[in-house]
Amino acid sequence: MSEPAAPLEAGQPALIRVMGLCHTYLRGTPLETPALHGIDLLVAPGEVIGIVGPTGSGKSTLLQHLNGLLRPQGGEVFVNGVRLSDPQADVRSVRQQVGLLFQSPEDQLFERFAGDDVAFGPRNLGLSADAVRERVRQAMEMVGLPFEYKDRLSTELSQGERRRLALAGVLALQPRVLVLDEPTAGLDPQGRQDLLRFLSVWCQSPGKAIVLATHNMEDIAELCTRVYVLREGRVILHGPSREVFGQCELLRQMGLAIPVAAEAMCRLRQRGYAVAGTALTIAEAAAALKALIHG
Amino acid sequence: MADPSEFELLGRVTIGQYMPTGSVLHRLDPRAKLCMAAALVATVVVSQSLLGLTVLLLAVLAALALAHIPLRFALAGLRPMVPFLLLLALLQVLAIPQYSANARVLWRWAVLTVSDRSLIAGVLLILRFCVLVLSLSLFSFSTTTTELTHGIEHLLRPLQAIRLPAHEFALVVNIAIRFLPILAGEAERLMKAQASRGADFGRGQRNFIQRARMLLPLLVPLFLVSLQRADELAEAMEARCYLGGKGRSHLIQLQARLRDYVALSIMLILAILSIHLNAIQADQVLWTWLAKNLSHLL
Repeated sequence: MSEPAAPLEAGQPALIRVMGLCHTYLRGTPLETPALHGIDLLVAPGEVIGIVGPTGSGKSTLLQHLNGLLRPQGGEVFVNGVRLSDPQADVRSVRQQVGLLFQSPEDQLFERFAGDDVAFGPRNLGLSADAVRERVRQAMEMVGLPFEYKDRLSTELSQGERRRLALAGVLALQPRVLVLDEPTAGLDPQGRQDLLRFLSVWCQSPGKAIVLATHNMEDIAELCTRVYVLREGRVILHGPSREVFGQCELLRQMGLAIPVAAEAMCRLRQRGYAVAGTALTIAEAAAALKALIHG
Repeated sequence: MADPSEFELLGRVTIGQYMPTGSVLHRLDPRAKLCMAAALVATVVVSQSLLGLTVLLLAVLAALALAHIPLRFALAGLRPMVPFLLLLALLQVLAIPQYSANARVLWRWAVLTVSDRSLIAGVLLILRFCVLVLSLSLFSFSTTTTELTHGIEHLLRPLQAIRLPAHEFALVVNIAIRFLPILAGEAERLMKAQASRGADFGRGQRNFIQRARMLLPLLVPLFLVSLQRADELAEAMEARCYLGGKGRSHLIQLQARLRDYVALSIMLILAILSIHLNAIQADQVLWTWLAKNLSHLL
């Protein structure tokens, strides 16, 4: 696979730059398990990066390096110019700039009232009560929860609402990069659509970027500008989504699904129909088919 | 280099983990291992002799080598307990002289007194503790929880005559142990999630109430998740027609082999040796011998 089509515009600094990152769990014990071998990754403002790969390929480990939960054992991670392998690095400000949302984040809610949970982050930043309130309002409205919900018991909310509440809890820190681990897993179709719509709106605002790890190729197809494919702790394929999903044979060999639309185009081509390009969404596939039939 | 394992809870606690090295010790019958562990603990508690405990310590170290477990890894389990151990030993050293009439006072300051007896008592405590922790670590390194459960159940079976629910008891032990690493993993995940939102565990000068409050974001979800998990486990067991121990057969049939009897005999000999050293007051003999020869040298 060729180098990605220059993701950085001239003069625009990367938000996150990962170079040759290595990580081994329980290093120095008989139970040590290597997880990452020399990962390179770049996140520029305005990008939505997808990270895909089978279970155990190192996705979550990689994500935890992006906000300093794990420190590099080998290689370097720079977040906005801060070198994370430096013991003096200000991790708290890094964690504020890079908001990380774990898998099934609704489990991590702990306050009785929804609003208090969203306020946890801003309060940790030491903001005044008014500023906290304002941030909670903004964050909740961003994820489509009415501000009045702040006084509801967090256990009373539905699962989709609880997940959005957890997301609001991260957004209240006003991060520049949002890092999400399996954001749509376990959501119903409506909840998933809402979440994806919100994410695509959020990353429109200037200077923001999203990194998401997922099994769900449709999420990637709908959102991501670039994709990294991980396997056994190595990046084996990366580039713009369209290019990566064009390699349907290779992806299938690795046991990864590809978006339905891309799969359909791929099979048509195998049967000798000259469909143009790689479709990522159903609408694109429909357009390509129409073009094939009519002309 | 920054500490890369700020949140790695499992990496620090080595006791209670299973290490599949496939050694002879791993292949021993769990019943034999349980009996040996019980005998060892009893001997360690009874023995008042430095020599006797040293013999046991050496035996445990030899067993660790036999099980192919790196000493460094076994000692890692001891490390977090060292401060407590030293504190206990210190209390022992300072408290004993008051209760012992024929002790030789070595040092006195106000109400604090240190005698030869109390120094020995402090060393005994440390030795005893090391043997206990290392042997229990060794037991868990070399025994899976399934083996442990089967072992407990078999050993308790005679007590069913007096209506002790052996199977249920073993199951409770099994579940408790099985869930420990899961809980630790869960706690790690929650700590990371809350740290991502700016929580700060354990650092900074805070008073007791603030410290306790700091743990809420960790403890509340941890409790909720474990209750939920217990519920799911119960449902999953009922869905597979679990009715308790009555009439339940086992996939693994335990069978005692020659090596189990050999291991038990070795343990028995060690226990007798250690208690015998205690009974003949070998320490006193050693002290007098040392005193005689050292004065000779001086």
